[in-house]
Amino acid sequence: MTDDRRDILSIADEYVLGLLEAADAAEIEVAMERDADLRAAIAASRERFLPLDTGVSPAAATEELWQRIEAALPAQDRSSSASGIANANDNRKNGWRLAAISAIAATLVLAIGLAYSVTRTVEPLVVAVLINEAGEVQAVVEDFGNEQATIRLLADFTVPRDKTIQVWTLPSREMGPISLGLIDGVRSARLDGPALPTPRNDQLYEITLEQAGGSPTGRPTGPILAKGLAKLPR
Amino acid sequence: MLMGSGPDDLDTALAACANGDRNALRVVFDREAGRLIAVAERIVRRRELAEEVVQDAFIRIWTHAHQYNADRGSARGWIYAIVRNRALNLLRDGNREFTVEEVETIRESEQADEVMAAWQRLDRNSRLYDCLGALDETKRRGILMAYVGGYSHGEIAARLRIPLGTTKSWIRRGLSALRECMA
Repeated sequence: MTDDRRDILSIADEYVLGLLEAADAAEIEVAMERDADLRAAIAASRERFLPLDTGVSPAAATEELWQRIEAALPAQDRSSSASGIANANDNRKNGWRLAAISAIAATLVLAIGLAYSVTRTVEPLVVAVLINEAGEVQAVVEDFGNEQATIRLLADFTVPRDKTIQVWTLPSREMGPISLGLIDGVRSARLDGPALPTPRNDQLYEITLEQAGGSPTGRPTGPILAKGLAKLPR
Repeated sequence: MLMGSGPDDLDTALAACANGDRNALRVVFDREAGRLIAVAERIVRRRELAEEVVQDAFIRIWTHAHQYNADRGSARGWIYAIVRNRALNLLRDGNREFTVEEVETIRESEQADEVMAAWQRLDRNSRLYDCLGALDETKRRGILMAYVGGYSHGEIAARLRIPLGTTKSWIRRGLSALRECMA
């Protein structure tokens, strides 16, 4: 067994036990969409520990709880793509294809971003490609490290009238997530964020859907639309 | 909708959820919600918070059912992982109705026995029961505190009165031994 392999198994266990720092756990969640070995290691780890959960004495699940859940269910918008009988093999094939395509797309976007950046006088310190849970590229953040960053949206987002997209970064576990700003409307934007430590390699960036005017708590509260880790242009 | 009792049916239910069948989500609820609430409660320590976790988790199960496939492990493991992650996030954010100190007090007052009980309750013939039993007491306790009670490295170190670095390496070695034992 190679060291890499052992590391993957060890990290998968720590992720499943909930022992990773928030930023590391977020990194694992991004990586597992593209890394079949990591995904398999996490699946195996979950199965190992699952009996500790399934052996618990059940609590009473009330009808009222179900009603709250049912009242909050959004409509499934997948009738065209997932119609008929779902077949595990087909699903898996699509998953692979999606992962492969998105990995290639991320590389291309990064290359385009870098080609663009070398033609400008001011270069970003880091570039983060943000992907959604399906592994699709959604946006690119360039952080210039001088309280300025830009975000390019590369997918269509549906933002209700009373909501807004907010951009976040996690400079360190101690600082927690910091808002870089709101996106006015659904378009690429320049962000004037607060003074922060110099952005580093693998720093987490993400966009969430928040109420108009931004998160009331100063921390992300809404669903994560996309996230990704920063890379240093080389 | 009537389904058998095998966990494999959860696969079928998730596929039906992805196609918009609310009855299929109800099947998952009827089969697993009671245990999921109990699992969440071991981590967040309060029934009403545990129900909130499970409520959020079921909405996520519904909206993400199309992403489930066999290379993510069993359907049951996938469902429990969603609940566990929600519970851990709620605990670590610590920003809802309770201050960190309040949550700490709640956790302290009840905890320890329940963590070890999860191990004692395992099937005595299972590999997991045997392999956890083969670990040193401290490693076993650390792993169970993390998985069952949602404790962080720092919390485990404080409660077992071991330096943080030692705690991390002991748990890592314990996990490695567990993998080998169960392989």
